[in-house]
Amino acid sequence: MHIRGRAWTFGRNVNTDLIFPKMWFRPAYEPGEMASHIMVGIDEEFPNKVRRGDVIVGGLNFGCGSSREEAAACMKEAGIGAVIAPSFGRLFTRNCINVGLPVVVSPGIDGEVTQGDEIEIDLAKCHIRNLRTGYEARLPPMAPESLKLIEDGGIANYTRRVLEQRRQAARGKLK
Amino acid sequence: MHAISKIIAYHADRTSVEVGEIVNVAPDYVMLNDRGAARAAELLRRMGGDKVFDPERIVVVFDHHYPAIRPQDAVSQKKTREWIKEQGISKFHAGEGIGHVIFPEKGYAFPGALIFGTDSHTVTNSALGCVATGMGHSDIASYLALGYNWLRVPEVIRFDLHGDFRPGVYAKDIALRIAQLYGEDAAPYLGVEFAGPLTAKMAMSERLVLCNMVIDFGAKTGYIQPDEITAHYLSQRAPDRRWTAFTSDSDADYGSIVELDVSEIEPLVAVPHDLSDVRDASKLNDVRIDEAVFGTCTGGRIEDFRVAAAIMKGRTLAPHTRMMVNPGSREVYMQAMREGLIDIMMQAGAQVGITGCGPCSGCHQGMLAPAENSITNASRNFRGRFGSPEANIYVASSATVAASAIAGHIVSPAESMSD
Repeated sequence: MHIRGRAWTFGRNVNTDLIFPKMWFRPAYEPGEMASHIMVGIDEEFPNKVRRGDVIVGGLNFGCGSSREEAAACMKEAGIGAVIAPSFGRLFTRNCINVGLPVVVSPGIDGEVTQGDEIEIDLAKCHIRNLRTGYEARLPPMAPESLKLIEDGGIANYTRRVLEQRRQAARGKLK
Repeated sequence: MHAISKIIAYHADRTSVEVGEIVNVAPDYVMLNDRGAARAAELLRRMGGDKVFDPERIVVVFDHHYPAIRPQDAVSQKKTREWIKEQGISKFHAGEGIGHVIFPEKGYAFPGALIFGTDSHTVTNSALGCVATGMGHSDIASYLALGYNWLRVPEVIRFDLHGDFRPGVYAKDIALRIAQLYGEDAAPYLGVEFAGPLTAKMAMSERLVLCNMVIDFGAKTGYIQPDEITAHYLSQRAPDRRWTAFTSDSDADYGSIVELDVSEIEPLVAVPHDLSDVRDASKLNDVRIDEAVFGTCTGGRIEDFRVAAAIMKGRTLAPHTRMMVNPGSREVYMQAMREGLIDIMMQAGAQVGITGCGPCSGCHQGMLAPAENSITNASRNFRGRFGSPEANIYVASSATVAASAIAGHIVSPAESMSD
């Protein structure tokens, strides 16, 4: 999986309350609604500034705190190409994988990227590069199961497929 | 293997698992809160699932937005009630309290169990010697459809707690000390076990506070080896529950083992807006308190009410300070009434509200205005969590919160206890 995009940088311990404040929680969302609140806990103008294909670069423990899936889903919906940080909150990591958003652990990356830099990532080759500065690094390999879920577009597609296989198997038994 | 690995292996129908391995597991119980149930039901439909895999394993708890705050919450809760009926889900608790308080109370959490929940503080349950972890809504929807979900077997770090509590010091202060020493990312993706002689004699209520807070160091689950205290707790609450405790092998690997002498810990306070920015309560006397927020899944148990009432008895809140109290469960509320604790707190001037998450979910009454200071026995001081992003949240123990509400500024509870 190959990603290239313009970077937006954020600090350490950015919690999910900031990425998607709870005042925007809804039982159901219209298309584009989650994306319209991305990062407003830090920058109210961010949804207007961010473009499809951009990448987010955070500091240590990015996405810590509350389990809210909207924090990952709003990024996916806004077309974020990848979210990159030295480490992530566990639930945020899981939610990114499950919505099919590349969540890339890259030690020390927060010190190597300035806002607006062009970042290139090859997930299969475990490689990250800052095209402006020439910084390059190897990425810790992602679990193949997680990479596959991301490439599949997330857990919804996976679940749909397994359910369909079960239905076919059940029909097969009836014949 | 560590007991956490054994519990995961058992629920993956395997004899062993390795740390770092990803396995599919079937949990014993899955907790859906009001928001989680509404979202997961919708996502389940979108995934093409019409029936939940096993309604017996699902527990629905309305605690965040209940009673409905906005008309849209009422609509969504109505839909969820219909969905529950349609799916044959019988374990439904609305208005009975916070999921993480009632799970142990009602025996849904037990040694050796695997518990998922649509909320980060699901880890609280791990105090009973189980593996309990929060998940996102699509995650849970996938479980609802398939009857399993993926889990990575975590490495485990252990905190061995020694020494004794000084007066005015509680498990909450231990959790804050760990945040202070090791940061909000002390245990990313890890299992956190609490052991040592102090843990062995710690009451279940205090163990629940420790394990509640592990998510706020980044952990996947807590763990405390089940013992007589665990067995006694369960026999009082779920005498019919059958359970098996798993035990770590003597050669189980730990990522690290940290010795912590609790006798050195003072009453502590996490200051805005970072849980790892922790100071001694006694050095924060110049912080004026506008509102005390008391309750939540961290500090809403009967023991918290006993501690607070002992401090507040015969006293009144500082004139410029208000106090919002939300009991963690109906059982806690009724017990606190029977013991006269609610009386004491109300006579002191506290507002006692409904059971549930209260202002900590950022939803119920008790919101803050810009530049106001709040002290709370909840777990998080994130910017904007109690209303205005310009407000300040200080996180402390139940005793420190009660003592500070009386004083009108932050004080160490040790001072008011020696009065």
